[in-house]
Amino acid sequence: MFGRLLWKMLRGNRGRLAVALLSIASGAAVISALLNLQFDIERKLTQEFRTLGANIVIAPQSGAQTVDLANAGGAAASVPVLMNESAVEAGLEANRTPDVVASAPFLFIVARAKDEPVVTAGTWLDQARKLNPTWKLEGNWIASHEDETQCLVGRNVAQRFQVGPGGALTLSYLGRSAQFHVAGVIDSGAAEDSQIFVNLPVAWKLAGTPGGIGLWQLSVSGTGKSIGEYAARLASALPGYDVRPIRQVTEAEGNLLNRTRLLIASMVVLILVLTALCVLATMAALAMERRVDVGLMKALGGSISRIVGLFLAEVSVLGAAGGLIGCVAGILLAQWMGQRVFGTAITPRWDIFPLTIAIMVGVALTGALPLRLLGKVKPAVILRGE
Amino acid sequence: MFARLVGESFVRNPRRKMLTAAALTVGMAVATATLTVALEVGDRMAREFRSLGANLLVTPQSDTLPLEIGGVDYRPVDEGAYLNEADLGKLKTIFWRHNILGFTPFLDVPAEIATNDETKPQVATVIGTWYEHEVPVPDGTTFKTGVSVTHPWWKVQGRWFSDGANECVIGAALAAKYGGAAAIGKTIYVAAANGSGPEGHGIPLVVAGVVSTGDANDDAVLVPLSVAQDISNHRSQFRQLFVSALTKPEDTLAGRDPKSLTPAEYDRWFCSPYISSIAFQIKQVLPGTEVRAIRKVADSEGRILSRVSTLLWIVTIAALVAAGLAVGATAAATVLERRKEIGIMKAIGASNAIVGGIFLAEQLLLAIAGGAIGFVFGAALARVLGESVFGTPAPPRILLLPVVLGLAAMVALVGSLIPLRRAAHIDPAPILRGE
Amino acid sequence: MAPLVQIENLRKEFGNVRALDGVTFSVEAGEWIAIMGPSGSGKTTLINILGGLDTPTSGQAIVDGTDVARLDETGLTRFRSEKIGFVFQQFHLVPYLTALENVMLAQYFHSTTDETEARAALERVGLADRITHLPSQLSGGEQQRVAVARALINHPKLLLADEPTGNLDEANEEIVLRLLRELHDEGHTILMVTHAPSIGQLADRRIDLAHGRLAQITETAGGTRSRVR
Repeated sequence: MFGRLLWKMLRGNRGRLAVALLSIASGAAVISALLNLQFDIERKLTQEFRTLGANIVIAPQSGAQTVDLANAGGAAASVPVLMNESAVEAGLEANRTPDVVASAPFLFIVARAKDEPVVTAGTWLDQARKLNPTWKLEGNWIASHEDETQCLVGRNVAQRFQVGPGGALTLSYLGRSAQFHVAGVIDSGAAEDSQIFVNLPVAWKLAGTPGGIGLWQLSVSGTGKSIGEYAARLASALPGYDVRPIRQVTEAEGNLLNRTRLLIASMVVLILVLTALCVLATMAALAMERRVDVGLMKALGGSISRIVGLFLAEVSVLGAAGGLIGCVAGILLAQWMGQRVFGTAITPRWDIFPLTIAIMVGVALTGALPLRLLGKVKPAVILRGE
Repeated sequence: MFARLVGESFVRNPRRKMLTAAALTVGMAVATATLTVALEVGDRMAREFRSLGANLLVTPQSDTLPLEIGGVDYRPVDEGAYLNEADLGKLKTIFWRHNILGFTPFLDVPAEIATNDETKPQVATVIGTWYEHEVPVPDGTTFKTGVSVTHPWWKVQGRWFSDGANECVIGAALAAKYGGAAAIGKTIYVAAANGSGPEGHGIPLVVAGVVSTGDANDDAVLVPLSVAQDISNHRSQFRQLFVSALTKPEDTLAGRDPKSLTPAEYDRWFCSPYISSIAFQIKQVLPGTEVRAIRKVADSEGRILSRVSTLLWIVTIAALVAAGLAVGATAAATVLERRKEIGIMKAIGASNAIVGGIFLAEQLLLAIAGGAIGFVFGAALARVLGESVFGTPAPPRILLLPVVLGLAAMVALVGSLIPLRRAAHIDPAPILRGE
Repeated sequence: MAPLVQIENLRKEFGNVRALDGVTFSVEAGEWIAIMGPSGSGKTTLINILGGLDTPTSGQAIVDGTDVARLDETGLTRFRSEKIGFVFQQFHLVPYLTALENVMLAQYFHSTTDETEARAALERVGLADRITHLPSQLSGGEQQRVAVARALINHPKLLLADEPTGNLDEANEEIVLRLLRELHDEGHTILMVTHAPSIGQLADRRIDLAHGRLAQITETAGGTRSRVR
C-alpha cells in the first residue's frame, strides 16, 4: 500500500510537482554544469597558458657561452660550448609524455646576409608554430624539419633585406654559404623579428658543427608543480646539462592559475548555496500544500511516522528524479559554457551525477522539514482550512 | 485603498515571505558579488599579468638588425641606431600615462671584464639598465621605474646596484665562472671591447649582487645605464625600451587600422587602453621609434582575460536564474494558499487587474527589500573575494545598487509571472463553494 | 451496561472564546444522536473532541472506556483509527485516490489493507460499480457514501458525522440519510451534527447546544424504536 500510495501521490499531483521538479532539476543542472567546469577549468587554463610558448629550456652547464660571435664584426670570436643533439633527443624521447605540446632544438650563429650580420637559428621548423602560438605569419609555415631550401624570417629582417614570402636570401658563414627561399615572415613583437630561422641540418652544414646544438626548448602543459617535476625528471635523465623551467613564464602562470582557480571555486560555492536555498524554498512551499492531506490522514488515524514517512519518500523521489534530469541537462549546459568560454568541448564527468543527486535529495529533504511541524498540529485545525 | 490592501496582504504569512525574500537576497548577493568582481577582474588580472613583464617594445625605427640571442644584443656599439634617454619622461604625459606601470631602457655593450687577480680579461657583455631610477617628467614630478617593474622575475642575491653608482650586478652564470674573484663586495673592471672607452684598466665597479634571470643575461654584467653609456661613449642614449602597460583585451574595434576608423570610432579607440592605442600614443611622443606589442605576452593576456570574464558573466546569469526559480515556486505556493482570499475579493467585485496588481506589488516590495539587503551582503562578499583571490579588496560600487535592484525586480516579476496570471484568473465560484 | 459515551463537564476554550462551557451527557450503544444548535454553539467542537481530532481544555470525555481527554498524541492516533469513524461535511476524500483506495487508506492506517473487504464495504453503500472512480468523477452523494464506507471499514465503536448532507442536493441527501438509517438499524452508534430539524428528527435523541452549553435533550419521533437488548 505504501508504494501504491506514493505512486498515486506523485501521479495525482503532477501539475504542482512539475514546478518543484523543474526547480530541483534547474538547480541540479546549474550545479553539475559548474562542477563539471570547475574540474576541467584547470586543464583548460593550463592549455591556454601554452600560448606563452616554451616553459622549459635545456642548455649546456651554466656558465657556457653558447653563441659564436665570429661573424658579428669586431667582437672577439669565442668557441661555443655545444650540446650533443642526439643525446638530448634520446633523453627526451625516453621521457616523452602527452603533456609536451612542442619541443625543438636550437643552434644560434651570427651569419651574414648581404654582408650584414644577422642572427640565424637552426631548429626544427615544423615545431615552430606549436612552440610559438602567438607568432603571426605572413606566408606559409614549413612542414618538415628536413627541408633545406626554405627559411622563415622576422619582419625586421624582411624589411631590412627587402624580401617577402617567395623571395630569395643567401646566407654565408666563415666562407660557407647557402641559398634559401623565404617561406614566411614572422611577427612576434620581440627578438625573433630580427632573426632568420632555418632547419637544423642545413644550419649544421653552414656552421660546420654537425650534431651540436646550443639550446633545447619545450612547451609543456600542466601546473607549476607538474612542470617543475617534469623538469627535474629530465634533469636526472640528462646529467651534464642544465634543465630548468623558464621563470618568467612559469611563475606568472602559476600565479594566474591559482587566482583563477580560487575565483571560480568561490563562485561555484556561492551558486551551490543559492541553488540549495532555492530548492529549499520550493520544497517548503510544497510541504505547505500537503497540509490538508496530512490533516486528513491524521484524522483517519494515521501515525505521524507513517504519514511523514510517505511525504519524505515523495520528496526524496522528487529530489532524485530532479537531480538526475538536472545532471543530464547540466552536461549539456557545461558543453555550451565550455564552448563559449574556451571554444572547446568539456569532457563530461560521470562522478558528478551521484554527488549532485545526493546534494539535491539532501536539500529537498531539508526543505521538507516543515512537515515535521505538522505532526504537532491538531487535525481539526488543518481540516478547518486555515 | 490599494496601498492598504497591499500593506495588509504583505504582512500575512511572514514565513513564506521570508523564504522568498531570502532567495532574492542570496540571489542578489551573488549577482552583486559576481558583477562587482566581473567589473574588477579585468583590471585585477591585468595587473596580475604584469608579472609576465613588459608587453611593449620600443626600438629605433631605422636600425640595423639587432643581434639578439636569449635577451642579449651582441652588436658592436658603433653599429645601429640609438634612442635618447632624455625623451623618456614624455611617456608619462600620454593620455594613458596612468596605465604605464613602468619602462626600462637597455644598452648592451660588448666588453672585457678583468678581476683583481692576474687572470686575462674575459669577453662578456655589459648591460646598462635601470633599477629604481627616477625619471624626470615634464610636469615637474619624477617617476620611479626600472627592471623591478618590467622584469619582476629577475631575482638578486645581495642587492641591486644604486642608481648611477659605480656598482654592478653579475649574472649567476658569469659569477659561477669567476668564482670568488667576482663575489659580492669584490671589484671588477670593465672596458668596452673595441676600446672605445676610457684608457687604462677599465672602470672599476663594485659587485653589489648576483642576479639570476634564467636566460642569457646570466652570462652578462648588469650596470647602471649611465655606466654603460660611459663605457660605450654613447652618453644619454640607449638601444631599446621595454614598457609594461595595463591594457584592455583587444576586441573588434581594437583590431582595426586606426586610419580606417571614423572620428567617433577613433575617439573610442584612443580612449580605450587597448595595447594598440597605447603603442600608438607612445609613438606619438617618441618620434623615430617603432613601438610593438610583444605578442607572446599581450595576446596571452587578452585571451585568458576574456575567458575568465565570460565565465563570470555566465555565473552571474546562473545566479539570477536560480533566484528567479525560487521566487516562482514560492509565489505559486502563495497563490494556492490564498485561493479563498482571492475568491472572496473577486466575488465582491475586484477585477483581475487589481488581484494581480496586489500580488505583483507584494513581489516587487520583496524584490526591493531582498535586492537592497542582497546588495549589502554582495558588496561584503565581493570584498572578501577580491581580498582572497587578488590580495586587495574589491571596493563596492554604489552604481551597482540601482542595477541590482532593477535585476531583483525583474527576477521577481519573471519568476512570479505564471503564478500571478493564475491568481488573476481564478474563478471565485468553486472556491466559495468550498472546493 | 455502561454508556458508550460519557461526557462530564467538558470545556474547550480557544483563547478568550468559550466554545464549550461545561457540557455533560451520555450516549448508549446503538443510539442515533442528533446534535443541534445555532452556529457558534459548539456542536462541531464537541464532535471533534469526541472524535479525537481536538483536545478539551478540561473535563472528561469517555468513549468506550477511554477518556479521550487524557490521551497523548500516540493514544489519540490509535483511538482515531480503532474506535472512530468520521464523516465530514466536505467529504475530505483524497483527490488522487480512487474510491477503493480511499477506503483502503483507512485500513492502511489501522493495520493492513484488505482489498476484498474494502470492495465489500463499497458494495454495502451501493457503489459496486464506482470502485475505480476518482472523487472528481463521483457525485456529491457518491463521494459522501465513499466517506461512509471509509468511516466504517475498521469496525469503529462510534460513527461521527458533521453535517453529512450539508453539501448535498435533495436527492443525494435522501440517499445518504437512508444509508444512515440502515446503519442505525444494524446497531451502529451514530452521533450526527445537523442544523436541520427535519434531519434531526430521524435520530433517537436530540441534544441542543447553545453558547457552548447544553440547552435541552429531547426524545424524538425516531426514538420510539425499542432499545431493549
